[in-house]
Formats: sequence, structure tokens, C-alpha cells
Amino acid sequence: MKAQFAKAQFAKAQFAGAAAAALFAVSAVAQTAAQLTLAFDCETKAGNVMLALYDSEEAFDRGGRPVKAMSVPAGQTATIEGLAPGTYGVKSFQDINGDGKMNTNPFGIPTEPYAFSNNARGHMGPPTWAEARFEVPASGAAQTIRLK
Amino acid sequence: MELTRRAILAGSAAFAAALADPETAWAAAVNRADWSLGVADLDGDIAPHPMRLVRGRAPAALSGVLYRNGPARFRRPGGNSTHWFDGDGLVRRIAIDDGRATFAARFGDTHKRRLETQLGAMVVPGFGTPGTSAAKLSGNDEANAANTSVFAQGGKLWALWEGGSPLEMDPATLATRGFVTLRDDLKAMPFSAHPRYEPDGTVWNFGLAGIQAILWKLSPRGELQQAEVIKLPRASYFHDFTATERCLIIVLQPWIRERMAMPYIDGLTWRPEQGTQVLVIDKADLSRRRVWELPAFSYFHLGDAWEEGDGTIRFDLCSTTDPMFGVDGARKILLGPAAGASPPHATLARIALHPDGRGVYESSDTVAEFPRSDPRFAGEARRLTFHATGIGDGDAHLPRGLAATDLHTGRSDVWDAGPRQLVEEGIFVPRPGSTAEGDGWLVATSINLDAQATELHVLDARRVSAGPLATFRADAVAPFTFHGVFVQGARR
Repeated sequence: MKAQFAKAQFAKAQFAGAAAAALFAVSAVAQTAAQLTLAFDCETKAGNVMLALYDSEEAFDRGGRPVKAMSVPAGQTATIEGLAPGTYGVKSFQDINGDGKMNTNPFGIPTEPYAFSNNARGHMGPPTWAEARFEVPASGAAQTIRLK
Repeated sequence: MELTRRAILAGSAAFAAALADPETAWAAAVNRADWSLGVADLDGDIAPHPMRLVRGRAPAALSGVLYRNGPARFRRPGGNSTHWFDGDGLVRRIAIDDGRATFAARFGDTHKRRLETQLGAMVVPGFGTPGTSAAKLSGNDEANAANTSVFAQGGKLWALWEGGSPLEMDPATLATRGFVTLRDDLKAMPFSAHPRYEPDGTVWNFGLAGIQAILWKLSPRGELQQAEVIKLPRASYFHDFTATERCLIIVLQPWIRERMAMPYIDGLTWRPEQGTQVLVIDKADLSRRRVWELPAFSYFHLGDAWEEGDGTIRFDLCSTTDPMFGVDGARKILLGPAAGASPPHATLARIALHPDGRGVYESSDTVAEFPRSDPRFAGEARRLTFHATGIGDGDAHLPRGLAATDLHTGRSDVWDAGPRQLVEEGIFVPRPGSTAEGDGWLVATSINLDAQATELHVLDARRVSAGPLATFRADAVAPFTFHGVFVQGARR
């Protein structure tokens, strides 16, 4: 009874400060910290896949800060551990030329492959949180994202 | 009310369905007009096969491959294109050699075509088709119909659209290889359907995006030599440009892009009070530019330009008083006679840009579209324009003949193929060994409405009114094409 109460308290703390909780969520609290595995299908293996993980509609749709940003060499899988179970969305692009930016042509059309979680595709713009959101339960989640 | 009563009395399910859905009614009307073969749907590719000689004899010295492009699929069960310019591009390959001809045609394997095949509906927005959100477009090349013209030099074959990349195809089999990126940082930049060629094969082209344009320069083999983005004086829509030996010429009709919209033409507004501007750019230094002012007119196609000794720049064009053909006429061609009468057709006009800043625009009553000229004189003084004519004689809204018009006298040498032929753009092919302007052949395809077949005609360009020296007939009919090129000496 006591143990359950303690767990609930910790979960509450995590929801109160997701980012902080994620940082400190280590093996001791493995029951409540989930793992997200992201595989990226790349047509060419050059450069790194840059990805940003969001946990809210506000951040995803209106240019807010991601809860996590990282890069993995093209062809490798990204593993994000210690996530609070919840709803997330991913934006990613393949930085083929290694300049750290998603390049566009002079008229603003991307020249490097990009993709979103659920392989969601917008119409004449990026997809919304509603299309890209997915659940990461305590047992973890995995997505394969095709960069195009 | 009258129609409803009749429908009920007739008890016709089809008629009732037509009343419920105006597009079905138009489709039914199109099916009744046999000129609608020009905008019929082709289900698939046409396998290579010999064409049958049905008239005369082809000149022995005429050898090469004619590539042509035009939309050939407009309708699917779940929804239709609503504008002629938005069907899927079908590239035709007609090889002529030793008095014989073969025909083949293949659709460009685009993202648009794959998606619409999968969905069973035309969903991709275009020039005049609104499309639906099912298209989920993430870039211009996902809307690329590759349906307007072709480029064929240096062993390359590209199907061209105007809002995206060239689509590379195999010049022998017409198999699609994919979109061409001329330089990594210029991926998906538009490469228009109207490149201009210098006599040595050097290529100039543009790509348009509102008030900006990219200018392309390619070697005769199709390798990128130069690409520069320029800001235009105004966000005019233009489909073609022209050039003299020294200058590029952009005619900025007062059909202005005032907002982003789908379909594309919904973002354009006709502002005749602003007149037409002509932007002239020095090929050697693209920052050196000059603008002439002309009265308002609209157009799709220009002829090659030249500069006279005193610096006067001259060219011809096929123009109209307003852009109603692009807005409405090209929609009605697809939707059929029930959609109503087509607006007036383009006529041949001439422009002079004098060094003192005076600009003169002079139209004529010669009905003309798809102008072409002798490529040996591109950028130099010339007097002949070859063009389709007889447009709108009858109810077809499509040409029924070809003409060679003398720009000095205004006189036209006309082949009228009659009301049972839809005659497409005629391409001038120089006679090997000749040097005089116009010494060569006109090579043109048509749709024979009686035979329900695509035909190839070869005419003596100096005696157009004598009609074809030879006519070949395919065992198939493909819809009306927009533009093509003839690659002389290419092997069958």
C-alpha cells in the first residue's frame, strides 16, 4: 500500500515537471520511465538524422521547444530512454551535408529528406500534432519513420 | 424544373444521376462530341508499333525521332481534373527513318500519377484543378504532371512541366528514371516547359515563383552552366519567354499573382489597367535589365526574338485581349460543349521594342497558336512563323490546320485539314544540307476523328497549302498534345 502510494507520488511529480523528471528517471524508477525506439528509413546513408521529440500540441504546432533533440548517423536507430509515459510527436530530417540545418532551395522547398512520427504527411505544410501524435506507454514504443 | 419533370417521366437513372452531379452531365456531353477524342482518357501506355503509310511518301532525307507531350488522363472514378492543363503527361515517340515510322507512348511515372491511381481519384491540385487534401502535398514535384513539353538533347529525354523539375525518361523505351536535380541546392526548383535554344543548342530557361524567377543556362548537352534567382518587376504569370542572340525577354502580362491559392489560377488577378511590361535581360550580365511598357494583352506563347541593327528588338506571339482561355476556355475544352462557348482564340501579334523606349504591340486577325520557327535562325532576324490555325472553326475549340505566316507581308500559307482532323503543333525540321530559312519540313501529329487514330504528317514547309507529302497512321489514338521536339538523325 505504502509502495503504491510512493509510486503515485513520483508519477505526479513527473507529470508536474516532465523534462526534469525525464532527466532523473533512471533505473531506480524503471517502472514509470519508458523507452522510445525510432528507426529511420533513409534512401541514402549519408549524414545524420536530426530529430526533435515534442510532448504537447502547443510545442509541436507552434514552434515550441522539444523535450529532446538528438542526432544519429543515418541508418542507425535512435533510442530515447527514461521518458515519462505519455503522448509524443517527432519531427526529423536527414542532414546529408552535415551543416546542421534543413536545407531548402531558393524558393523554400526542402532539399534534404524529412519526416514526422506516424509518417504523417500534411497537405501543403507540415502535419499537425493531431496527425503526428502517438502514445508511449510505460512498456515503451517503437516507430519506423521513412525520410523522404 | 423542366429537366426534373423530364427525368422523372423518362425514368432514366442515368439522367437523374447527371442532374445530381454536374460533372457527370458534362462527361456525358463530352462523350457525345467526337472532337472530345482530343481530351479523352487513355488507360495505359501504347506499345511501340509501325505506323501505316496512308498518303504519299516520306522524304528519304527525313530521319529522326519526334517526341511530343500532352495530358492523357483526366478522369478517375473518385474525381476528375477540371482543367485541360492538369492531366497526366503522356510522352509520345515517333521514329522516322527510311520512309517508315513507328509510334509509341508512355505515361510519365510521377508521384501524382501513382497516388491518383492508388486512390482512384484525381486529387492533386494543379493549374486549374482545385484538388483535395487527400493529395497531402509536401512539395511542388508531388504535383508535377510532367505533361507540357519535352527536352531532348545530349542523349537525355526530359518531360517538362512548368512548376517543377524535369522528369527524366529513357529516350528509347520512354521508361521513367525520375526527377532531375540540376544541382543539389536547386532540387525541385521549377524548370519551365519552354526552354529557348540558341542555334548551337545552348539552352536558356526560367522557373517562376511569384515575384521571383530562376534563370537557367544549360550546355547543348543539358549540363547546368548557370542558375540565378532574379526579382521581377511584378508577380506576373507567364508560361513562355523568348530571347535574342544577346538578351532574354520576359513579357509580364498584367495577370498578377496576388495570393497563394489552389488551383493556381485562383491566385491570379487580371489587372489590364496596369498594362503589359517587357523585361529585357542581358545574357552576359543578368543584372543589366531594361523594362518597356505596352498596352495590356494576354498570351501563352512567344516566337523567337531578334535584334535589328539599330537595336530594335522584335518578336511575334499568339495573344488574346484577356486571359479567359487559361481561366475558362481550357476548362471548357475538358468539360465539353455543355460547359458553353469557348472565349476568342489567340491571334498572331508582333512586338517592337525600340531603343528610345517606345514599345509597339500590333495584333492581327490571323488565328494562331503553338508558334514555331526555323531553329537555325533562333535569336536572329527571320520572317517565317509556323503555327496551328483554324481554331474554333466548328465546335471543337482545337486547331484543324497549319500555317506558315510571313511576318513581313502578314500572308499565311495554310493547310486546312478539315473539320475531321485535330491538328497539333507543327515542328520545323531543316532539310539536311540546306541553309535558307524555311527550307525543310513541318512535322505534325493530328487526331483523325473518322479513323479514330493518331496520324503523323510531313509537309514541305515552303508549300504548306499543298498538304502533307506523307501521312502515317498509328493503330491507336492518343489525346491532343501541347509541345514537342524533333531530334534529327536519332536512330529508330
